[in-house]
Amino acid sequence: MNKRIRLFLYGMTGLLCGMTAHLDAQERDVPDNRYTTHATLIGAGRSSLLETYLSPLEYTGPQLTFLRETLRKTHWAEGRVSTQSLLGGYFAYTQNPVRNAEDMAGMIEYRTGWHSNWTLPFRLRLMAGGQIGAYAGFVYNTRNGNNPAQAKAGAELSASVVAIYPFRIRHVPFAIRYQCDMPVMGMMFSPAYGQAYYEIFSEGNYDHNVRFTHPGNAPTFRQLLTLDFPVKDYTFRVGYLCDVRQSRVNALKSHTYNHSFLVGYVKHFQFIKRKDRQRNRLIM
Amino acid sequence: MRKLYILLCPLLAALLLPGCVREDEIDNTPQGNLYALWKIIDERYCFLDYKAQATGLDWSGAYSRYSNRLSEGMNSYQLFEVMCDMLSELQDGHVNLSIPSDMGRYWAWHEDYPDNFSASVIERTYLGTDYKIAGGIKYRILDDNTGYLYYESFSNGIGEGNLDEIMHYLRACNGLIVDVRNNSGGRLDYAERLAQRFTNEHILTGYTSHKTGTGHNDFSTPTADYLSPSTGIRWQKRAVVLTNRRCYSATNTFVRDIKECPLVTIMGDRTGGGSGLPFSSELPNGWLVRFSACPMYNARMEQIEFGIDPDIAVNQSSDDTLKGVDSLIETARTFLKK
Repeated sequence: MNKRIRLFLYGMTGLLCGMTAHLDAQERDVPDNRYTTHATLIGAGRSSLLETYLSPLEYTGPQLTFLRETLRKTHWAEGRVSTQSLLGGYFAYTQNPVRNAEDMAGMIEYRTGWHSNWTLPFRLRLMAGGQIGAYAGFVYNTRNGNNPAQAKAGAELSASVVAIYPFRIRHVPFAIRYQCDMPVMGMMFSPAYGQAYYEIFSEGNYDHNVRFTHPGNAPTFRQLLTLDFPVKDYTFRVGYLCDVRQSRVNALKSHTYNHSFLVGYVKHFQFIKRKDRQRNRLIM
Repeated sequence: MRKLYILLCPLLAALLLPGCVREDEIDNTPQGNLYALWKIIDERYCFLDYKAQATGLDWSGAYSRYSNRLSEGMNSYQLFEVMCDMLSELQDGHVNLSIPSDMGRYWAWHEDYPDNFSASVIERTYLGTDYKIAGGIKYRILDDNTGYLYYESFSNGIGEGNLDEIMHYLRACNGLIVDVRNNSGGRLDYAERLAQRFTNEHILTGYTSHKTGTGHNDFSTPTADYLSPSTGIRWQKRAVVLTNRRCYSATNTFVRDIKECPLVTIMGDRTGGGSGLPFSSELPNGWLVRFSACPMYNARMEQIEFGIDPDIAVNQSSDDTLKGVDSLIETARTFLKK
């Protein structure tokens, strides 16, 4: 079983990265953990915002998203562990149901995580592990007075699962990937129910402004479904991101439901050390 | 594979357990909007219990009383009128309902009282034409060597450099009159910045609280508010602060703060009040509602929502009005000469 897994992981790494057959020869020269996949995606979609600190109404509107991913195998656990980092963000411009008030929202987030890899029948690969991450953002209401905005900041520890199914159509490699991340604990900033930011930042009066979060009071998850496909020598990626962020702390309710369609490209790198056999071919 | 199940099970459980975080949707109908307005005030307004005692406010029964005035086919202006009537029970100048054509308001806190102020008299008799302007403050030295400064609105900015220049210019005066009449508020930091020029000590001026939940009594422990002395030029002689009923909101807080300064005397009429920091929210039909959210108290933990009494009560006399003289300024000048 172990031998089969190892063999499969070698192959899957190449498929996951959307590599074409011409890389196969190099795989034998460079250790697996030197292969790195960078994916850059941009997207657009719809956003639904609820911030009861600002308004009891749900605001909806278009949003733009970006996502930058780095995926690499490590040498840990005989190469069964991969590492992933995600830098993402969005900007949304939303309106209330009667379209006479606007909320602008933005967020940037960084997560890094580690996954164990398993190979299942039909070449399906499962990855499961954890992530740590942090985010910062805002929701700004264009017409409120002393409560014009809600700041978003927090850090969290997430569980993460990934399923990858590589397949070929007429010898052309494709890969479908599904990823679901869910924070299991963390901490977030929130003003108290009726606390003004003037109190916090001008007077220095704090009142439970950093709260412990868990799925009970902040049921949040992200789902990402992507398809990698080659076009000539390039690998492109299209996908759908469902980003659901919710919280219910300090008697304030908040949710951001972002649904985005993504498109981008994938780049594959291999880090070469001097001890590698290729060193003779290096210029420096 | 066991490891995989161990990792997957909590994740799946966590995905299935929590639900959506949503707010109850209220219909965009006259009944729905009136209920939404009542609910916002019921959950977020900070003076319900205080006003139940002070004015006999019965907010719990307000919705049923005013929903009886709703009828099929009533237009938005009629609905607006019903809502404004309901809000006027709060007797709060910080409570407004805004629609594109109008702003519902409660201004009895100054409309029912004498003005005790005339801008034309101030300009003609006291400021003249050669007064100085620094930031939002107009100032000059009166004939009897009394300094006079008028701060019309705390929405108009004032910098530390402005205040240094003003204090330096007025340094040789026997006393100073700080006129904040008709100043209906603005930014608290400008109000505090001016008040800091009148204390050499770190003094307790009041307390601030906020709601921590939807219950009428869900409040945080009040936090002490202190006035710290300015690091710039500070006023070291006697000063009189002139007030009237139009001193509201941030000006009410300014009077609360400066009243604790040892060389300062408050003179004129009671301030208008407005001690709740206002927040905004909205109704299903998009109408904007403003309400008091964070109560402020004085240094003795007393409510100042309905104003602050002056140390010396002075009203504008009809004789002085005929003479084109401001009774409050003249009384302050006499007081400062003693």
